[in-house]
Amino acid sequence: MKIPLSPQAQGGPAMPDYHHANQCTWCDGCGDYGIWTAIKRALVELNLHPWQVFLCFDVGCHGNGSDKLQGYRFHGLHGRVIPFAAGAKLANMEVPVVAFGGDGASFSEGIGHLVHGIRSNYPMTFILHNNENYGLTTGQASSLTWQGQPMNSSPFGIPERTIASMDFIFSLQPTFVARAFSGNIKQLTEVFKAAIEHQKHGFAFVDVLQACPTYNHFATHEYLLEKCYDVTTEGHDVRDFGQARKIATDTTERIATGLLYQNTNIPNFYERLEPRKGIMTTPVQEVAKRDVSGFMKELV
Amino acid sequence: MSRISIKAVGSSGQGINSIGEVIAKGLKRSGYSVFGYREYPSLIKGGHAIYQIDVDSIPVRSAETKVDILITLNHHGFEHNLYDLKPGGIIIHDVDYWEFSKEDQRFIEKNKINIAYIPLDAMLKKLKARPILANVLLTSFVWDMLNQDIELLKALVREQYQHKGEDVVKKNLECVDEGCIYNDPKLGRVTVSLPNPNAKWNDHLLVTGSVAMGLGALHAGLRVYVGYPMTPSSPLLSYISSVQKDAGLVIKQAEDEITAAQMSSGAFHMGTRAMTATSGGGYDLMTETMSMNGMIENPMVCVLAQRPGPATGNPTWTAQGDLMLAINSSHGEFPRLVMSVSDPEDCFSLMPEAFNLAEEYQLPVIVLTDKHIAEALCTVEMFDQKKAEIRRGKLITDPKDLKKLKSTDRYDPSAKDGITPRWLPGSHAETFNAQADEHNGDGSIDESAEMAKLQMEKRMRKIETIKKNLPDTELYGAKNPDVLIVGWGSTKMTVMDVLEGLEVGKFRGLKIGYLHYTYLWPLKTELFERLAAKAKKVILVECNYQGQLGMLIKQQCGFDIQEKILKYDGRPFFYDELRELILQNLQTSKPLNLQTSS
Repeated sequence: MKIPLSPQAQGGPAMPDYHHANQCTWCDGCGDYGIWTAIKRALVELNLHPWQVFLCFDVGCHGNGSDKLQGYRFHGLHGRVIPFAAGAKLANMEVPVVAFGGDGASFSEGIGHLVHGIRSNYPMTFILHNNENYGLTTGQASSLTWQGQPMNSSPFGIPERTIASMDFIFSLQPTFVARAFSGNIKQLTEVFKAAIEHQKHGFAFVDVLQACPTYNHFATHEYLLEKCYDVTTEGHDVRDFGQARKIATDTTERIATGLLYQNTNIPNFYERLEPRKGIMTTPVQEVAKRDVSGFMKELV
Repeated sequence: MSRISIKAVGSSGQGINSIGEVIAKGLKRSGYSVFGYREYPSLIKGGHAIYQIDVDSIPVRSAETKVDILITLNHHGFEHNLYDLKPGGIIIHDVDYWEFSKEDQRFIEKNKINIAYIPLDAMLKKLKARPILANVLLTSFVWDMLNQDIELLKALVREQYQHKGEDVVKKNLECVDEGCIYNDPKLGRVTVSLPNPNAKWNDHLLVTGSVAMGLGALHAGLRVYVGYPMTPSSPLLSYISSVQKDAGLVIKQAEDEITAAQMSSGAFHMGTRAMTATSGGGYDLMTETMSMNGMIENPMVCVLAQRPGPATGNPTWTAQGDLMLAINSSHGEFPRLVMSVSDPEDCFSLMPEAFNLAEEYQLPVIVLTDKHIAEALCTVEMFDQKKAEIRRGKLITDPKDLKKLKSTDRYDPSAKDGITPRWLPGSHAETFNAQADEHNGDGSIDESAEMAKLQMEKRMRKIETIKKNLPDTELYGAKNPDVLIVGWGSTKMTVMDVLEGLEVGKFRGLKIGYLHYTYLWPLKTELFERLAAKAKKVILVECNYQGQLGMLIKQQCGFDIQEKILKYDGRPFFYDELRELILQNLQTSKPLNLQTSS
């Protein structure tokens, strides 16, 4: 698909619609540039105008990008972006909701929310900015930092073991798992589009491996460029849970990227809500004074 | 006052609540105002639990410490509650092995206590009924003792059990017959006379404060409820969950209170009406979100159901110790609104206001309640559904108006009243960033000194706007009181009963008034100051140690209330207890602190 760089004749969105006058403040060579570019491309290619989407940002370097693009946006607290985004989505199923969070927010501070987000299969997309450290607070180790790496506040390396993040994610029976590399904008765009489209089926988890040129001196841009390969070129079957888990988890030789696993047969959280069955409106549309006489009659 | 009090005691799980609730409902339908009060330990089974109902033909909104009838399901009632009986009172029991101590014997004889034995096991055996039906036997025995219509009880039992099938109903009705005709052979038929009934109570509701709040929230257009179980907020979660299907709600039992606060905030930001409820410890976890909503100017409704702290404290008991928490929680300075329910009427009527104010001022609204009103069963008129209106403030939804909006309108710091237009994700308009970092008009991060000052002032200007528009404090009793009682929350119910008993607010020529605070932050003190300046005595009544409302009043207007009736033992004020404390206070001039009472 050719992405529209200028306004379209039919009134569809174009890249300039997502342009914000604020200038980017990320470090030279930061992976956030690639993710920022790709999400705008993905939204345009999905034919979504800025006013049609809700983009939720956690706190961290990526969150500083919340005012560098258009769209309804939210930039909240550290570690809490998933529940806020989930609540928003359940209130209005017609709006695509994308949440962004770093590895610190998602695997330490707010790890419980990630667990229950996947378990609940909320109809939303979560994009992990995975630079394997706390960048904004000047380079402390996260639970995804490789063990033994000297970091700010842990000059001798962290004593804790690194969380095997993909093995952990797969243990939660996810319905969508993808991994991508911030240097591959074309792949990122495709993965983001698939992850946003998966919202009708449930929670889409996208692990984006990104460089942090200032503080991550182990999984560098060059390292990722060298090790990442696209699973679609090797005929990977995204319905194969066991194989997906295996290639996602084992990163010793190569790092599998692309859409790794998708299950479209599990109902999403909203679809499972018995009281909402058969209701065509959204909770946002339903705010009105309600007659509670029927409920009162039962209490006489 | 001619109230009658009946107390059922037993282990948690033995069914005393069902005895209490059936008698309460039956008596209400017979024409009485009923007040049900529960005490129970934080256990599923065992411990010593109490369900007390206070009955009168005039309104009852409090429990007495002394009772006319004590039903005990085990010997613990003899140990713990014998001295709760009024002279001439009756104990009903099936404990055939119990021997009273000499001291107890003296009390029984001196006070002419009647002891009615009911052989529940033998009766159940005879009827081939399951042990749980002992509750029906006891209920019926008491029902007959109160001289009430057996058919009314049967209709109620039928209603209660018809979903379990005709066999179950039949067995229950047999137990009703058996219980009603039974008399302790040694004692003969004893009766307790109730005041004359008043038919106006027949069609009243019998609800707990939690149910009334749930109804109020539904009436206000609640669509999304996110909660995490914590006593005493759980009954609200339970009630709303129980009607979720009919109401078509989105209900989420979250993984923790942080999630509950964030999810409900996300749903509110998107444009629906959402709420959460919790108690002290859970509220502590929600406070960061409270601050966030203050910053992004997002409406939020959070019910804070108080119980005694600190820490896990006394989980199933009551307190009013979280007023300062509600007002001062969360980092940074931001406007918020704190209100408190006090009786079933305002449990219902304040919920629509909570949602309206949250949307009008775009800030967190904290609705205080406590275990006492949350679980007390009250007789109340069908709630008035004409009064409430849905007000959504500066919410823009009209397509033409949306087109005119600029991104920078969202947090335009020049707004005179501090309130700027709000519009919803998905609206065809310019977009903005709901920004929890300090920001400029469209929600872009802005750390400049100039913008930090402008935005802080914009947000805080809302406090003055609210103060101008909030309803005043409410004065009950005498218009120009000599004695001014000041309070908030569920203590109002007991205070009002006491005032009623003191001959419509008069005592030995003294005019007594009660000034009630529904809206606690921002705090209005004008009426208080006017009344306090003229009153001979001002008395603060609160269920906390520090007299927190008193502290607030002093902070806001400098008036230091000297006379304090404070209670912090987990129990609410009881009718006779508070009456006595107020009368004592009127006769002395010294401050009075109460340690324990029940």
